[in-house]
Amino acid sequence: MKKKIFITSILLGLIGTTLIGYFITGCSSRQEDKSEPSSQVTDDSLKTRDEFLSQLMQEKENEKRSVSVITSQDKPDGVLNGESVSSVRSIAGEPYTTGPQSRESDLSNRRRGHDYSGMGITSDSTAERSRRTSSLAPIRKIQAGLAGQIYPVPQGQIPAELLNVSADEIWVIAKAETGGIVTDEDTPGSGAMLAKLPEEEKEIPLPLKHTDVKGQISGYIATVEVTQQFSNPYNEKIDAVYVFPLPQNAAVNEFIMIIGERKIRGIIRERQEAERIYREARNQGYVASLLTQERPNIFTQKVANIEPNKQIDVNIKYFNTLAYVDGWYEFVFPMVVGPRFNPAGYTDGVGAVAHGKTGISGQKTEVQYLKPGQRSGHDISLAVDIDAGLVIEDITCPSHVINNSTITPERRTVKLSSLDSIPNKDFVLRYKVAGKTVKSALVTHSDNRGGFFTLMLYPPENLSYLKRSPMEMIFVLDCSGSMHGKPIEKAKDAITRALKQLQPNDTFQVIRFSNNASQLGPNPLPATPENIRKGLKYVESLEGSGGTMMIEGIRAALDFPHDPERFRLVSFMTDGYIGNESEILAEIHNRLGASRIFSFGVGSSVNRYLLDRMAKLGKGAVAYIGLDESAVETIDLFYERISHPALADVAIDWGNLKVADVYPGRIPDLFVGRPVILTGRFEGKRNTTIRVTGKVGNLDQEIVIPVNLRDSGDTHTGIACVWARKKIETLANQAVYDNNSDITEQIKQVALEYGLMSSYTAFVAVDSSRQTAGEHGTTVPVPVPVPYGVRYDTTIQD
Amino acid sequence: MRTIMVIILISICLIVPVLAQQSDQYETAVRQKVRFAPLHIYLDTGNQALAAYQFELKATAGQVKIVGIENGEHPAFNEPPYYDPAALANDRIIIAAFSTDKNLPKGRTRITSIQLQIIGDADPEYEADLTVAADANGNEIPAKITLEKGEQK
Repeated sequence: MKKKIFITSILLGLIGTTLIGYFITGCSSRQEDKSEPSSQVTDDSLKTRDEFLSQLMQEKENEKRSVSVITSQDKPDGVLNGESVSSVRSIAGEPYTTGPQSRESDLSNRRRGHDYSGMGITSDSTAERSRRTSSLAPIRKIQAGLAGQIYPVPQGQIPAELLNVSADEIWVIAKAETGGIVTDEDTPGSGAMLAKLPEEEKEIPLPLKHTDVKGQISGYIATVEVTQQFSNPYNEKIDAVYVFPLPQNAAVNEFIMIIGERKIRGIIRERQEAERIYREARNQGYVASLLTQERPNIFTQKVANIEPNKQIDVNIKYFNTLAYVDGWYEFVFPMVVGPRFNPAGYTDGVGAVAHGKTGISGQKTEVQYLKPGQRSGHDISLAVDIDAGLVIEDITCPSHVINNSTITPERRTVKLSSLDSIPNKDFVLRYKVAGKTVKSALVTHSDNRGGFFTLMLYPPENLSYLKRSPMEMIFVLDCSGSMHGKPIEKAKDAITRALKQLQPNDTFQVIRFSNNASQLGPNPLPATPENIRKGLKYVESLEGSGGTMMIEGIRAALDFPHDPERFRLVSFMTDGYIGNESEILAEIHNRLGASRIFSFGVGSSVNRYLLDRMAKLGKGAVAYIGLDESAVETIDLFYERISHPALADVAIDWGNLKVADVYPGRIPDLFVGRPVILTGRFEGKRNTTIRVTGKVGNLDQEIVIPVNLRDSGDTHTGIACVWARKKIETLANQAVYDNNSDITEQIKQVALEYGLMSSYTAFVAVDSSRQTAGEHGTTVPVPVPVPYGVRYDTTIQD
Repeated sequence: MRTIMVIILISICLIVPVLAQQSDQYETAVRQKVRFAPLHIYLDTGNQALAAYQFELKATAGQVKIVGIENGEHPAFNEPPYYDPAALANDRIIIAAFSTDKNLPKGRTRITSIQLQIIGDADPEYEADLTVAADANGNEIPAKITLEKGEQK
């Protein structure tokens, strides 16, 4: 018996050793493919070292001493990986430079003091720097306290906090003593932090130095160019990784990598192929960049082999249609990805971790956040030219300080004030054009692919004279940790206002969710004064903490029986900070029934992709309440909208226009103050009249839109991209509840044909003219501030 | 029976690491065959000023992938030219650019450099077909297109 046990133990030991051996040798290359920091360290040694370091840190912390520990794994520093080429001579003997180091250096030096935007915005002028420096003075004091004593480390090395733990070098700088340091917990991310090189006592910015945004609005279509300036302040090569947001309906169709005066246009490829190309180029020491889409509103930018003191810019261009809400056009530029909650067992989400904690979330995409009181050197400049085509009556920016100048009554230029250049909240710009109502209008574009159009369909004016039927109002409040503080107070203000506006024949329910869901009562209550008081008291008692199990809230809100006498309207009040969007959207699709969903995004940098899709799937509408905006005003507008019936059963007679591929396929109900944008393809050049019909109760309504296709005034080159983007969005929505693998292929095909970003396509650009010396750079993720008003301690995995 | 089990297990223990190592070596070998190099495109319009052009490029030998399109050397063409993504899907690329600058290039000028990924040891060959070159008035002008490999030997 003992012999048997002995033999079995030996065999099990052998199998175990073999499997470990297999994973080390066989999977190492695949592992490298998946995690960009191509560590030469095996998992085993890494674990051991991690354990050692963790133990050491714990000991040192216990001793209340600051210490720095440096471990490094030598790599052939300075050894050329292949031939290093600084210039190329053409075969014909005509010399020209393809990017010599010296020229890049000169250019990047010049660029530092250059009026980068060409619009009068000096990105880093002396005056600006001086102003910034003086404004940072008090913050430096905080930083000094936070940093504690920093022990000498090799000059120019990359601080450990910025590195992936599996990178070639690991630095651990022990936690500094923070006694006596006061951080403003209510305004996280508003401080300043700059990495320091201890010997030089010099502030060093992180790899992402600056973002410049230039928008041009023509009618209701925006063309936006975003330039991200990456630089390497260290004395070894780096690969920068930056996870950033763009509008959820952005049709990204251009990508240019800029190295000094050289501009290399990126190529759209299937995502896996682009990733392979980038990896090969990176591993061979070429400067390369890769743009991938993680969500329709979250992107990852990677720039490989940025040499010390060099700058590489990446220029991204996109089109998007503006929202038109209650008489105002709205241009939004998101600046930071909000921290997402991912349910247990979910790995396809977006992790939110403290900076330097790469990989701890276990999610496919991960955003690193700066701690309260810290700030990267990254700032943002933004300018928008508006050509409304009609007189602009009013303009407002509830989120930022702006300077705006009038060029003509129809044209304005808006610039973000340099005093408000911290990228920690959405930039929201609204403008109102002259006239009581805006008429429905068709915008077209024709090229060798055919004709494309967008039609902004406004509800008929006379809807506002009709009254609504009784409602069953369900308020669903996100009480998770990310809502703690200002966001939940705003949301509670909104529900309080809404409860007070209920009519006697309405019913209501209040549901809260965080880790689970609970509600005011088992069934909707009649809107009697007593019940409303009860509801108000319940809302007042709610607080934000815990996870965001939104799926519980969805089920609680949509699962109980529908009262056929009333129009059920479900209002979600949330920041949408979740990583499992597709699960939520699938749940809404499956359970919607007769309900309509109105989603309210509450916060400074909400997940607009989720909230927009919830409203679209829920056949309702979306509204956003900024932290510095009035919740009461937003709710009043909402009530104004729902106090009139919507135009339902909408159908379109296109007249002589031969149209195809119109999106959305099913035209949603038209609510007062809420137009719907349709986009499609057309043939023909004749004038015609489009007739839109629908029903309000039993009454027939008609909207007439005259179309003159020969009128070149209503054209826009971005229409084809807008159409293709809308088609991709429609297919992606379908994929949420339809497992047909053909949908993926269709999305890929459209994206490749129109050169657009999607989940399955990516832009890659390689500078093949020159190999940088040595192996690929060390991966440095770019940490970002938590959004304004969001608490770090309740949202970030540290 | 026990002996057979032991033999099988020992065999697995020996074979799996060898296979894994071979697989790794194979991947490394494949990786080594990939290289990157630019291809420079020149246009010679003689005394005529070049304001716009379009050409089609394809590889007639070797396996290549286009991984970037660089701007031209003349300031009038300092933006990288556009490409037709639909054509790219068919193993060729159609590239076009125009300039509204007053100062336009004449004679021989590098209009773009195509950044390439070359797969395999074969030396690729390319074919460029100039569709059109035009002056500032949109009139077609005679021009000669030439290619120069920028790969390091």
